[in-house]
Amino acid sequence: MSELGTALELRAVSKQYPGTLAVDEVSLLVRAGEVHALIGENGAGKSTLMKIIAGSFDDYTGEVLLNDKPVTLHSPSMAKAAGIAMIHQELTLAGPISVAENILAGRLPSRRGLLSRTALLREARRCLAMVGLEHLDPLVPAEDISPHEAQLVEIAKALGRTPCILVMDEPTSSLSREEVDRLFQIIRKLRRRGLAIVYISHHLPEVLAVSDRVTVMRDGRRIATKDTRDTAAAELVEMMVGRSVSDLYAERTAAPGARKLSVEHLTRRGFFHDVSLAVRAGEVLGLGGLSGAGRSELARSLCGIDPVDAGRIVLNGRAVRPRSYRSALRAGLAYLTEDRKAQGLALRLRMGENILSALIPRHCRWGVYSPGRGRGTLRRLVGALDITPPQPGRLVSTLSGGNQQKVLLAKWLATDPQVLILDEPTRGVDVGAKVVIHRAIAELADAGKSVILISSDLPELVGLSDRIAIMRQGRLIGEIDKADATEGSVLLAANGEGEFVRA
Amino acid sequence: MSDPVDIRAPAPAGGGRLYDVLSLLGVYVLVAGLFAAGWLVSDEFLTTANLLIALRSVTLLGIVAVGVSFITYSRHYVDLSIPGIMALSGTVAVWALQYGFAASLAAGLGTGLAVGLLNGLAVGYLRLNPIIWTLAMGSVLSGLIRWAYAGKQIYPDKATAAGRAFLHLYHAEVFVRVPWIVTLRLPLVVLLLLGAAVVAHLLMRKTGFGAQLRLTGSSYEVARMTGVNVRRTVAIAFVISAGTSAAAGILLTSFNKVGAFYIGKGYDFAAITAVVLGGMTLAGGRGSIVGVIGGVTAIALMDNVMSLVRIGDFVIGEYLKQAIQGAVFIAIVGVHSYWLRKSGMDDA
Repeated sequence: MSELGTALELRAVSKQYPGTLAVDEVSLLVRAGEVHALIGENGAGKSTLMKIIAGSFDDYTGEVLLNDKPVTLHSPSMAKAAGIAMIHQELTLAGPISVAENILAGRLPSRRGLLSRTALLREARRCLAMVGLEHLDPLVPAEDISPHEAQLVEIAKALGRTPCILVMDEPTSSLSREEVDRLFQIIRKLRRRGLAIVYISHHLPEVLAVSDRVTVMRDGRRIATKDTRDTAAAELVEMMVGRSVSDLYAERTAAPGARKLSVEHLTRRGFFHDVSLAVRAGEVLGLGGLSGAGRSELARSLCGIDPVDAGRIVLNGRAVRPRSYRSALRAGLAYLTEDRKAQGLALRLRMGENILSALIPRHCRWGVYSPGRGRGTLRRLVGALDITPPQPGRLVSTLSGGNQQKVLLAKWLATDPQVLILDEPTRGVDVGAKVVIHRAIAELADAGKSVILISSDLPELVGLSDRIAIMRQGRLIGEIDKADATEGSVLLAANGEGEFVRA
Repeated sequence: MSDPVDIRAPAPAGGGRLYDVLSLLGVYVLVAGLFAAGWLVSDEFLTTANLLIALRSVTLLGIVAVGVSFITYSRHYVDLSIPGIMALSGTVAVWALQYGFAASLAAGLGTGLAVGLLNGLAVGYLRLNPIIWTLAMGSVLSGLIRWAYAGKQIYPDKATAAGRAFLHLYHAEVFVRVPWIVTLRLPLVVLLLLGAAVVAHLLMRKTGFGAQLRLTGSSYEVARMTGVNVRRTVAIAFVISAGTSAAAGILLTSFNKVGAFYIGKGYDFAAITAVVLGGMTLAGGRGSIVGVIGGVTAIALMDNVMSLVRIGDFVIGEYLKQAIQGAVFIAIVGVHSYWLRKSGMDDA
């Protein structure tokens, strides 16, 4: 490894939020030419630490040194000027604008006040070449490129300002396996050029594959920094959770019973076609497939959120035709969205209000709403899902991501659904919350309810499902029993190959 | 297992309640400050007569503000057709006087509610931009009145009983008797404002509609994905606002003794200023009717105190007052968003 000295140094940096010390005297050293991974459960303080570096706060304490010179990072523009580039988990490209203008946003080349098109193209091509996107036409609108390309364009945009530190927050969350490998090659190339890269991720295999050193955070503090060569996933997990995680997948006790939900020839043109499947009481049916295979769309139509063009839904022997999500909820179907922030939780409201929000009609008599009637449910769910801090009056936005996800699950468990459809129930949550959510799913099935699980987390899908139906390009193409389900067999089938795909 | 609430030492309460308390406190501190300012500015201020004038002058604004706060609460900002609704309801009420007093009131209110329903359908069901739609609606309404009466004003006929009743409406007083304690003579308009405020408060805080409106205002998508009939909820907010505007329009017409297209001008902006001043942010889902009433009171006092200012020959005229009111609105919205961002509660 090239030793080029220190690129970024933090000395006892802290940041206080109302009520919590999110970052507690963290000291950290990132060398030039290294990939420094930063890991920790949700709420461990990684994101806040990165926001400090990105200049999001003007009230952090402690010292930040860039190339051994102290700097003040009180605004995003100060951070940019100091040579820090951030790549956020959510992409920040402006859809209708061309890739080139996105890359050069804020520093468009101009001549006598007019945009210089040739300079724009030249500079955009130079930036794109750095991330291996020479083939991309810089003039296409950013909304027309794939998520993978968008991620790389985002990096190109950051590199265009020739930063000395590149911070990447979960850059692989929307990428496929091959795309991740390509991204890693680019990261390695950048590292050789002496760029310091801070890489934030939940994904331990990726961290182990790409980083030189790993820093583990927990409860706002730095727990340890290790050379990646000298550590292993198990050790990192132990440091992240502060205890050893023995078994991630809960044991199931009850066997599936009678058929509860059947779907016959369900079609929504352009999204999914002729889908027939059945779920039994006490069964977890996994829905496997690549992103865009139509799984979420199927779930939304089952719950009346989106329309259906043809087909039938039978619940407990009775045909149901949900015209709205309201009527589906009343019939006993519930859908946990994959988009917690935009569609799942009202971040502006309290934790308790969120958990009881789907029950408002049930807790009404003559139009008068008594939230007090949900107090028992609330207490039971907060306890069962170990939501911390256990204060229903707290704003849900002040909870960590993992706990927010538990709140979202609690919201749907509170409706006591016959069939619960879970769309990515543990995306982006920490190991501890994952264990709790998995246990709750298993308990729900053991209590005789049906669960449909949509997940891109293959170990989770394989570990929790009794059966996995595979969707590809809007069609159900095969089914895998628990005995045959492995990450490999699911992945193969999702790509339309292997023995479990119906001819 | 022990009670889960005991797991941690007393942690600070979540910011939500803190915000509610602070914004309520804020507007009432402002009210107290204005009282002090009025007392300093003029000897006339703390007289019963002056305070009654101040109270009376904003009762109609209060009624409008209470209604429009449902729209703000639902994150649809404001109904800019308020002046149009007020003018139309008043004019229709005057026109319908020929069929009797009750018919006049029913026609005035009914017209307002019909416009509200139209607004509700357009914004709630068709998801049109509330600002643009109601702005256009206001223009349509005031144009229609001018067209229908060729720009002339219409007057209630003093010769008929209905006409006299209508003209008396605004000035009517009601005896409120609490047995063995007190008998009060209160203006009808003040009672109407109190009634509207109490009903609105209960609607927002104690009903399923209120809870779902809060969810809708906090996040429209989340409410939709929770099974709330968001379209209907938003539509109802617009109908409520139109209803209170219609009532205020009829009363204002009674006060002005004339039905005309300009009745109610400026009430939209004054009402939203009161709502925001009362701690109900434009971002939706926050604030309360108690705060809105505080906001209305603050506006009344501000207006009153400004009228009493006399420095030599200098008085604050209507134009300057208007400018100051606008500046106050901008300042409040700025302070709100700054405060929410600072406290990390800005999720938008």
